[in-house]
Amino acid sequence: MSVNLASARIFRGAPPAVLACAVVTVLAFLAPADGYYLNIFMQAATYAIAVTGLVIVLGYCGQISIAQAAFFGIGAYGVALGTVDFGLGFFPAMLIGVASAALLGLILGIGSLRLGGHYLAMVTISFQQILTLVATNWIGFTHGPDGVRNIPRPTLLGISFQNGHAFLALCLVMLVLVTTAVWRLKTGRLGRAMQAVRDNELAAGTCGVNVFATKVIAFGLSAVVGGIGGALFAGGFQYISPDQFSFNESIVLLTMALLGGVQSPFGALVGTGLLIVLPEWLRFLRQVYLAVYGAAVILIMVFLPDGLWGLMLERVRIRSKPIVGDVAPLPLLGERGRESEEIVLDLQNLAKHFGGLKALDGVNIAVRRGSVHALIGPNGSGKSTFINVITGLYRPTAGRVMFAGQDITHAAPHMRNRAGLARTFQNIRVFRGMTVLENVMVGAERPGNDIAENPAQVVERALAALDFVGLRGDAHRQVGALSYGHQRYVEIARALASSPQTLLLDEPAAGLNLTEKQELGLLLRRLKGHGLTILIIDHDMNLVEQVADHITVLNFGRRIADGQPSQVLANPDVIAAYLGEPRHEAA
Amino acid sequence: MAILLQLLFTGLGIGAIYALVALGFVLLIRAASVVNFAQGQFSMVGAYLLVVFFNVLGLPYLLSMVIGVVLMAGFGVLFAGATYWPLRHRGALPVIISTIGASIFLENIVLVLYGPSPEVLPGVFDNPGFDVGPVFMDSQYLTIMVAATLLVILQYFIFEKTLLGKKLQATSQDKEMASLLGIPVVTMVLITFGYSSAIGGLAGMLVAPVLFVSVGMGGLIALKAFAANIIGGYGSIPGAIIGGVSLGVVETLGASYISVPYKDAFAFAMLLCFLAVRPQGLFGEKISEKA
Amino acid sequence: MLISRRHALLGTAITSFAITGRACAEDTIKVGVTVPLTGPAAEAGQFMQWGATLALESINGAGGVMGKKLEVVYEDDQTTNPGAVLAFSRLVNRGDCAAFLASIRSTQVNAIAPDVIKAAKPVMFGGTDPTLTHSGNPWLFRCRPNDTFSARVIADYGVNTLKKTKWALVHSTDAFGNGGKNAMLDNLKKLNIEPVLVQGYTNQQTDFTPVVLAVKQANPDILCSYFTFEADLGIFGRQLRQLGVRQPWIGSPSIINTTSLNLAGPALWGTYGVADFNEDSSPVAKAFATTYMTRFKKQADDLSTWVNDALHILALAMNNAKSTEPQAIRTAILAIKGYAGTEGTYNFDANGDGLRGYNVVRNEKGKIVFDKHIEFAS
Repeated sequence: MSVNLASARIFRGAPPAVLACAVVTVLAFLAPADGYYLNIFMQAATYAIAVTGLVIVLGYCGQISIAQAAFFGIGAYGVALGTVDFGLGFFPAMLIGVASAALLGLILGIGSLRLGGHYLAMVTISFQQILTLVATNWIGFTHGPDGVRNIPRPTLLGISFQNGHAFLALCLVMLVLVTTAVWRLKTGRLGRAMQAVRDNELAAGTCGVNVFATKVIAFGLSAVVGGIGGALFAGGFQYISPDQFSFNESIVLLTMALLGGVQSPFGALVGTGLLIVLPEWLRFLRQVYLAVYGAAVILIMVFLPDGLWGLMLERVRIRSKPIVGDVAPLPLLGERGRESEEIVLDLQNLAKHFGGLKALDGVNIAVRRGSVHALIGPNGSGKSTFINVITGLYRPTAGRVMFAGQDITHAAPHMRNRAGLARTFQNIRVFRGMTVLENVMVGAERPGNDIAENPAQVVERALAALDFVGLRGDAHRQVGALSYGHQRYVEIARALASSPQTLLLDEPAAGLNLTEKQELGLLLRRLKGHGLTILIIDHDMNLVEQVADHITVLNFGRRIADGQPSQVLANPDVIAAYLGEPRHEAA
Repeated sequence: MAILLQLLFTGLGIGAIYALVALGFVLLIRAASVVNFAQGQFSMVGAYLLVVFFNVLGLPYLLSMVIGVVLMAGFGVLFAGATYWPLRHRGALPVIISTIGASIFLENIVLVLYGPSPEVLPGVFDNPGFDVGPVFMDSQYLTIMVAATLLVILQYFIFEKTLLGKKLQATSQDKEMASLLGIPVVTMVLITFGYSSAIGGLAGMLVAPVLFVSVGMGGLIALKAFAANIIGGYGSIPGAIIGGVSLGVVETLGASYISVPYKDAFAFAMLLCFLAVRPQGLFGEKISEKA
Repeated sequence: MLISRRHALLGTAITSFAITGRACAEDTIKVGVTVPLTGPAAEAGQFMQWGATLALESINGAGGVMGKKLEVVYEDDQTTNPGAVLAFSRLVNRGDCAAFLASIRSTQVNAIAPDVIKAAKPVMFGGTDPTLTHSGNPWLFRCRPNDTFSARVIADYGVNTLKKTKWALVHSTDAFGNGGKNAMLDNLKKLNIEPVLVQGYTNQQTDFTPVVLAVKQANPDILCSYFTFEADLGIFGRQLRQLGVRQPWIGSPSIINTTSLNLAGPALWGTYGVADFNEDSSPVAKAFATTYMTRFKKQADDLSTWVNDALHILALAMNNAKSTEPQAIRTAILAIKGYAGTEGTYNFDANGDGLRGYNVVRNEKGKIVFDKHIEFAS
């Protein structure tokens, strides 16, 4: 059996979605004719759509948004004002509403550039409050607190949606489409990029993910989905007013997402359904019911971090079958390399100062193609600063970083990765919420990689990389379940899958036990045998001596030695630098 | 001119309220890296405690306040146990969400106990205030300003001059290092929650005579106090004070000279401007989300 | 989905049973009532239920409706608009309600209006937004005077009784405050008066100094206010007096309710207010207020009185029509003239507005004193 599961993946979701559309349409017409059920289903369906937007921004991308009701409201006002005041058709008005939501979502996303966590929570709350104030006070445009009445329902292609059943069918079909799209999104390239950003922004950037753009897109998509929900809500209830889109409603939507499970659009369905039906069941609680609601949020966070859907999945989790069969070997190895005198990574007079501290003070290093170049030095000598400057996490104070003839001194981390520079981290930075395979796929599908545009080949490439480090059997495990040493291999596989020209290894032996270190040594020698250019930073002299062709020694931010291993290790300055400095076996 | 002075006085008074609530925020941010979205509800609970002890049980005013503040400290520890402790290793987001849950819970549980009608509390002084030239000075606003100033001095003294303060500071800077040095980190974090809750409660008791005591009294104030924190500089004590006061003045002047209905928008617009141009705030260190 | 629906049905059945608290086997005529049982207005919901209780006792004590007992069925509107929509549609779904009582909040009535047309049964409501009965919905009947009348009474009293012409208006920017402001502007305009200040504010403020200073600067000889929340009114009133504004002040009904009197204290002494209900305005009102006080130990207010009147009017209309057929009830309601209710004398017009008058009352050192009933013919 060859690996053709990947091609099936592309079409996954399409047939069930068509089927589900048909089923919900029939159900909508079978629903009891009385208004109550139509109303409660309509409310549940439109809210669920909005909650699905939270799945994208909060679940996938890890950015908190307490403004989903605002986007819901923008969509609703688009339809209401467009049809009632401007005489547009329902769908053109909906388009305008959703586009406005998208625009504001993008702006909010851009605001998230430098902000995370509590800042973002605050920004989204402010946005929500301002929007409510505008909807209430800009009476000439929004009708103010009176709200908008008599919102018409659409007619499309000769089909009239005036009837409650027909409109409910429209809402449900839209819900199915949105759910399917969001579900598909998760296993797609963009979805993986979002999850990478959520799990580890830094690592995502160095894997070629444009972190900023990904966040902005997540906000935009979430706003679009919220807007769609709101537009349908306006058509469903035919009357809207600002208090329906207030801060409290944003909290309700957030709770729905969390209760159901923010990692999946199905969780959104479960959470929304429950919280809309729950008030019926909890009627006996009367006034206490909102208090119970608040307490439930805390309890969910403590006991149900993955929500109800996560809990259900855990109960029924089917162990994925291990992927067997042949995979093509990693293509980069042995082709690009071959040791040569060509300088691939050239660092000229590099300096990085933190206030008065000169972590790097004018360092020159030239890494030749196909060589294994080791950078050593005692603690605090500037090694980690060095690698962070090369990969773009720090801006250098002075000097240039030349890579394959290009000046990349000021390029963003993901641009450097796209140029062919991949790295691992001293403190392991894998994407904890994802499987081993997905982690490596993020590397394989970096923009610019030869197979990045073909999902089937991305899987194949990722499996090849896992094969290379010996973890293919663990491809479907959650990466957090692996041992520390194996997580490091996942990082290496992730870097290899992106077909790097040069691999930067930041203390790969740190935290490994003796056996693991020996395995790592073997792995590095295999890589070297394939001719990959490697820059390795480590304390572990054994490892360095085993693999290095060339050694540079740093101390106090300056280069104190550079050359063949035997010469460098005999250099009296180097010995002096290490004297009294115990060798860190497990730094 | 008289109008401007009156507005400035009011702005300073309102700003002192924000500053007082912001102080409670800052401590938790510093000690436990927690943003407590239920800080405003601490104030609300504090004010209701004063209602219980003073209005209902008829204890003397100041004694009621002292009892209330002590109870709030204990309440803060309980709060930590429920919303922060189980989630402390899971990053900022779960804690933020659980404190939001706590705020909904507290508001509604008090609503059940006390109903929606606001309660009235008298001011600390019987005299409602006095005229200084063309400006009427409300005595409760003056009290709040004095209280905010005293608390800042007290806080400075505790943090800089006492061993406890040093330990708290060490805990806030580096928990691992602090615990290596033998500082009981757990206790320190709990003390901070207690202190923050006590300050929040005190703020509630002080503003109660101005705003009346109602379930929703704390929500908007806390949002603005948190905005004040960011404007002043995240986690900075002087920042909280300056941020709070300037927010109060800006929104009062903005309301008077630009638009009353959009008054609340000025605070949030000011916040958004700061976040866009100077996210580290007036006194903050440059933020870096990098690990 | 099927399962959840069945559960929802079960839940509804249980709760309806629990709330009505009596078995439905008896043959009764039912009126569905949406009330806030949860949320911020839960207390108001309680007063509405008490009003209904007294009305039922009086109606059924006098022989009921066409020989049957009248019964009400409550549904919780959760104090929200979507909640009101669901509550109303659930009542409609029962299929056995002859008519309905909706909310005292105008936005909720607006929210259920499309469903009211679909249900095609009479709905009595207490919201005072004038447009509710003027948007071509034949099934909405108002049992309180609408805001144009409160504004008309305020303008009439201020201009003709108090002889003031330099007006300042302060209003909340919510639906109620805004509607009141527009009605005030219209009515003052008819009296050829342009206010010297029209100042809106957003609900739930911490401070009213900017508003008070604006009033002070405009230096009106009379102030008119439309406040929604008592706490806002309390803060505003106190600061108004602190900053030395002493002109006559007429407010919308919130200025004389118990909570405001309690919160603002002396700051509101000497103010005038308009009230749709005042126990001294008529013998019927007095009788209701007395019974209410004996039974529930509370002062009756418009939350209970409009519910009481609405149920009486429905009973009267059904008895007159000798039918529970919706169109017959509608015709009978519109035919009601001169019915003396607790809120005033009902004369329904073609739009479905029953009342056209307000009481002006005065705050005498914290006690509300009846001053004058002003009624308009149309």
